[in-house]
Amino acid sequence: MRIECPLCGTRDRREFYYSGHAIALARPAPDAGAEVWDDYLHNRENPAGITEDLWHHEFGCGAWLAVRRDTVSHAVVSARLVKGDQL
Amino acid sequence: MAGMRLPIESHVLQAFVTEGLKPCIDHVISFGMGHFYISQSDKGGLVFGGDLDMYASYAARGNLPMVEHVAEAGMTLMPMIGKARMLRSWGGIMDMTPDGSPIIDKTHIEGLYLNAGWCYGGFKAVPASGHCFAHLLATDRPHSAAARFRLDRFRSGRGLMDEEGTGAQHNLH
Repeated sequence: MRIECPLCGTRDRREFYYSGHAIALARPAPDAGAEVWDDYLHNRENPAGITEDLWHHEFGCGAWLAVRRDTVSHAVVSARLVKGDQL
Repeated sequence: MAGMRLPIESHVLQAFVTEGLKPCIDHVISFGMGHFYISQSDKGGLVFGGDLDMYASYAARGNLPMVEHVAEAGMTLMPMIGKARMLRSWGGIMDMTPDGSPIIDKTHIEGLYLNAGWCYGGFKAVPASGHCFAHLLATDRPHSAAARFRLDRFRSGRGLMDEEGTGAQHNLH
């Protein structure tokens, strides 16, 4: 599996650290309540098909990417940069 | 499922088989430090595996970096297998929970029960978990041995079973 980093180009999966679903970008307000925080931290759509998850280009430029990917075929559709303050 | 989102993310775990060899391993060897296991089948092939590929996947196959990593773990444990040639490999889908432990519980939907999230440890637990699940279905109360496998433990924090002390978070188990 290879991921196209917007800064570095196409790189091997070995250069990236997987950090779970991109739902992490939608962090609730601190006072949103236990139900909302539980849903954000733990519950997942877990799709068989297109998903979007976060990858850190740790052995490359250090950027965080939101990668759209097919969980059935492992095809990588797209990757976009996300800002540190979104995480 | 039934409009519910579950604390589960599906990952792929690979396993490997070598060509047939003369008997050399008569039991299962687990290598905790390397997250590696190996045994020998009746036909002589070494059967082994190790870590998850570590990304959400429903593909019944993994990727080469983890093949290399598992082979390295095997060579660290027992360099004697280094000349064995690998015949085949496959990937199984693991229903991973945030704390690495399963869920045996009833849901908020009448008549809907869950026995899920067995991560990569379910096969040997099938008889005991089936017994506990049957007890739950028949009596609507958890079996004492499975009373902690509650669906709401992630929300409440009570009874989290975090085997590695790394936190009840997806992608850490």
